[in-house]
Amino acid sequence: MVTHWKTFRLLSLLALAAAGSFAADKQYGTLIREEYLYASAGANSQKLSQVNRGSDLTVLETANADGQPWVKVAMAADQAQVSKEATGWLPAKAIVNASTANGDQIIFGQAVDSEHQAEDRKGRKGAAEDALRLYSRVPQIFPGSTLAAEAMWRAADIRWQLAKADRSGKPPEEKYLQEVITKFPQSKQAELAAFDLLEGKLCAEWRGLAECPTKESALYEQYAREHPQSPKAAEALFDAAWRQASLADIYRLSDDRDKSDAARKKAITLAQQIQNQFPQGDWKPRAIDLIYKLEKKIVLYGPAE
Amino acid sequence: MLKRKLSLLTFLVAISAAAFAGDKEHGTVITDVMLHVSPDPTSQQLSKVTRGRDIFLMDHTMVDNKPWAHLLAVVDVDVERETAREISGWVPANTVVTTSTPNGDQIIYGEAVDSESRADQGRKNARDDARRLYYRLYEYFPNSPLAGEALWRAADIQWHVEKTDVSRRPSSREMDPYMRVAIEEETMKLVIKKFPKTKWADMAAYDLIDNKVCGSWKGETKCPEKESEIYEKYVREHPESPKAAEALFEAASRQGALVEMFRTNHEQDKSEKARKKATELTQEIAAKYADGDWKPRALELMYALQQGIPTYNADADRATK
Repeated sequence: MVTHWKTFRLLSLLALAAAGSFAADKQYGTLIREEYLYASAGANSQKLSQVNRGSDLTVLETANADGQPWVKVAMAADQAQVSKEATGWLPAKAIVNASTANGDQIIFGQAVDSEHQAEDRKGRKGAAEDALRLYSRVPQIFPGSTLAAEAMWRAADIRWQLAKADRSGKPPEEKYLQEVITKFPQSKQAELAAFDLLEGKLCAEWRGLAECPTKESALYEQYAREHPQSPKAAEALFDAAWRQASLADIYRLSDDRDKSDAARKKAITLAQQIQNQFPQGDWKPRAIDLIYKLEKKIVLYGPAE
Repeated sequence: MLKRKLSLLTFLVAISAAAFAGDKEHGTVITDVMLHVSPDPTSQQLSKVTRGRDIFLMDHTMVDNKPWAHLLAVVDVDVERETAREISGWVPANTVVTTSTPNGDQIIYGEAVDSESRADQGRKNARDDARRLYYRLYEYFPNSPLAGEALWRAADIQWHVEKTDVSRRPSSREMDPYMRVAIEEETMKLVIKKFPKTKWADMAAYDLIDNKVCGSWKGETKCPEKESEIYEKYVREHPESPKAAEALFEAASRQGALVEMFRTNHEQDKSEKARKKATELTQEIAAKYADGDWKPRALELMYALQQGIPTYNADADRATK
């Protein structure tokens, strides 16, 4: 019995080791141009489907056909136009994998290009999704790349912006931005992700009430205190100041003079902080403009006096 | 005798007018405000003065403990047709920023940045507000450290509005740039003239290239050849420009397109020459601009050229990736 048990454990161990070695051998790759997936190696074989830029590919084997290298790949099931895991052949020239020299830069470069296409009125259809997928591949295929954090952040940000623009009413998923914070803590990209996440905590409408701007101002101020080195710190302080300035008007309209004055004072203090801490760039003039409007009691929210 | 008296009188009138003008201030408003017949919010409303409009401050007064300003202002007659006229009236003085307002340049600039941001959020005519505010800053605070950037931003906003307009016309697809309506160059040229050898002049010179490129290539090699030359020349003449890496990439991507165009025309030598040139240009980008997005883009283009991946889309008729 003991011998049996020992044999079983040894077999299990061997099986695990073999699986581990397969996983370690498994090579991920992606496409930097659309290509057709073929049934076998060679351009004359049957076309199965179109494969998008940035698709998540696992390289299975390589072959030569038509004097060109071909790669057999498996495509993950959760990708657009692919309902179940699919395998097929692709021309090797458009595939970038972990062994491609400068592969991280090449995928990142194509992602940037796709982002530009997405912003161009005459740009390629689906380019934003291409960019999202391509950026996602960089940390997956090249986890040690210097571009990994930036790529993961950009993918999460595009996903966030696309979800916000989606009119289905479904709230954007936070997990991708959270992943940036978890994987690259204390980085510039983690700070940018944290700033995006604030949007999920804002009110859809203020309805002229003080509750929302009060809460939002506190959120932005807290962000600026917790992320003083963030590229978004000045903007967060300005967002906090602007909400306090709006509160000055909201309280004025409800004849709460003391609270109105307190909000105005708070807004000026925050704007002065921007003026002193961020002398370069656009936030200082915006803060000075806000201070001027507050001092001159120019209405920023609601009807004029 | 009479003629001499008349001359003296004309001279005195001219002097007093000059003195009057000298005492007054130019400026603008930093929020949309209603122009009234008299310094009283219940008095007849004349017209709305929008942000960044040119105003001439003529007088001040206090009514009910609130300051009012008497202005000669330019107001919109028809926003769509961009027609305007000058009228005088009264506005609450707190909305007016003039050449004597402390930090007036920063306040106008801040309001301009704010308007640009609001334009992105959908405030109607906010981009026009931003353009006018930036221009006012340059006009009334020419010695401000913000003047160069403000004039450039005013010019750039105007440029992109016109560029979009021009691109919607049928003539925008003409191959020869002289066959289409050109984007107005006056303000861009003013940036170069008033702020020579600055970042702003470099940026203005880059925008001006838009008027020199083909509307479409129509599959002919002369357009990408000429455009590549223009972009490369820009880089050689403006090596410190923030647009230098982008211009080199534009030159390289056109050479990349030429590789495919010449190959399709069975001009193998020319195709190889274009490949070599594109590779040199991408290598230059990778070597000179290690930070930012241009190095990865250049390396991606280089990889595509090495692998023989086409970088010209005949259907879209442009360099494509």
